[in-house]
Amino acid sequence: MASEHIVKSYDEELRRLSNTITEMGGLAESQLAGAIDAVVKRDSELAGNVVEGDAKVDQLQHDLDNLAVRLLALRQPMARDLREVFAALKIGSDLERICDYAANVAKRSIALNQSPPVRPVYALPRMAHLAELLVKDIIDAYVARDADKAYAVWIRDAELDEMYSSLFRELLTYMMEDPRNISACTHLLFMAKNIERIGDHATNIAEDLYYLVHGTRIAEARPKGDLSSLEIVTPRRGTE
Amino acid sequence: MSPPQVAARLAMPLVPSNPGVREPELMPRQKALIRNVNFFYDRFQALKNISLPLHDKRVTAFIGPSGCGKSTLLRILNRMYELYPGQRATGEVLVDGENILAPGLDLNLLRAKIGMVFQKPTPFPMSIYDNIAFGIRLYVRLARSELDDRIEAALRRAALWDEVKDKLRQSGLGLSGGQQQRLCIARAVAVEPEILLLDEPASALDPLSTQRIEELIAELKDDYCIAIVTHNMQQAARSSDYTAFMYLGEVIEFDETERIFTHPAQKQTEDYITGRFG
Repeated sequence: MASEHIVKSYDEELRRLSNTITEMGGLAESQLAGAIDAVVKRDSELAGNVVEGDAKVDQLQHDLDNLAVRLLALRQPMARDLREVFAALKIGSDLERICDYAANVAKRSIALNQSPPVRPVYALPRMAHLAELLVKDIIDAYVARDADKAYAVWIRDAELDEMYSSLFRELLTYMMEDPRNISACTHLLFMAKNIERIGDHATNIAEDLYYLVHGTRIAEARPKGDLSSLEIVTPRRGTE
Repeated sequence: MSPPQVAARLAMPLVPSNPGVREPELMPRQKALIRNVNFFYDRFQALKNISLPLHDKRVTAFIGPSGCGKSTLLRILNRMYELYPGQRATGEVLVDGENILAPGLDLNLLRAKIGMVFQKPTPFPMSIYDNIAFGIRLYVRLARSELDDRIEAALRRAALWDEVKDKLRQSGLGLSGGQQQRLCIARAVAVEPEILLLDEPASALDPLSTQRIEELIAELKDDYCIAIVTHNMQQAARSSDYTAFMYLGEVIEFDETERIFTHPAQKQTEDYITGRFG
């Protein structure tokens, strides 16, 4: 909103709320980038740092929740102000989950590093970079309070879902070809799922941002590209 | 969207928000329609082309900064302005289809049908009993026992009976501010009105009394069409079903209260309710 409140301290508190979200968003981006890096470079130490870094985001979320409750109690926000506080609470929760998933990916990469690399691992960073872009773009959209940008992110998650479905098939096939791959592939499966979930949380943020700006919900059903829950892969003849 | 269009859109079934509480009438009926009303204090135009509905068994709140015309509008609804020279209104106010601004109307009957409660409690310098009997006696001759019943019913309606039933002969002026205000509400409902006009009914009261008045309004709305003027936005938000935001004699926005306070259509409305005005 262009104009300021008559009571200036109200504006300061709303700004603090907004800045906390932006800070959490920045951490989400760097955690995810660190996790991908750890996978690609097979760097367990880097992975360990990402896992430890998750505590900072949890603390930020607690601070955010406290600030939001304080605003609700003391300012009785209305209309746009109320939607700002409401959106901040929800977006904070989604960002915290994104960071959790990034830390999970990092943690699993440590286990993955115990075995030699498997072919499907090269598809994972591609997926993760797409998720990274979604997170970056939605945080940019939040800073600008841009509902159109939010909508664009909302739509693009379908692409991430499709990549996940395709990686799912590839991993199942790989596991069936050679049971020695099962352990590594299972870790990769969870990691891929985590990244897919990051995309879902980015769309949640997009929905909340849209509501913040317009006061109404994104009306359409979100295009869902993840068909993996319907997936059954039968073994190729001759490999049993 | 013009107010009559809003009115048509809003004549939709309302979902009761508290299941378990006595269900209100689901389809709100228009009790009154203010149509193209202009108002003048001598040459100064205080209200400009006001048009909006008042729904039966609902509370409509009027909010806006000082001088916006909300109290002026309320005073048109029972023609209180005619007590003062130089004040005049044009346009129509239809109550159940009849224009109450038409000449030749019995104003005493009108003011029984459309009752008003003011910001400062105004008990008569009489006993509690007589405060209420006074109004009733202006309209109808009742046997003593019937009068007693009407007075008790009115005091019960105003959630005051239990506190005053043993001191009905004591002066109304001896009651606390909150009690005096409830006495005024009892006085208004005793003459069996259809519409209640409340002009900042809780402004002069402490928070606890204010909440009691709000609770009373929530009960009264089952039986009456209520219009309330308030400069306390939270009160408008808590107590009303519809809210009209006024500024400089015009209605800037009129809609369901929930919409006004979550995402109003007009920037001016949003600026006012979020404290960005000025």
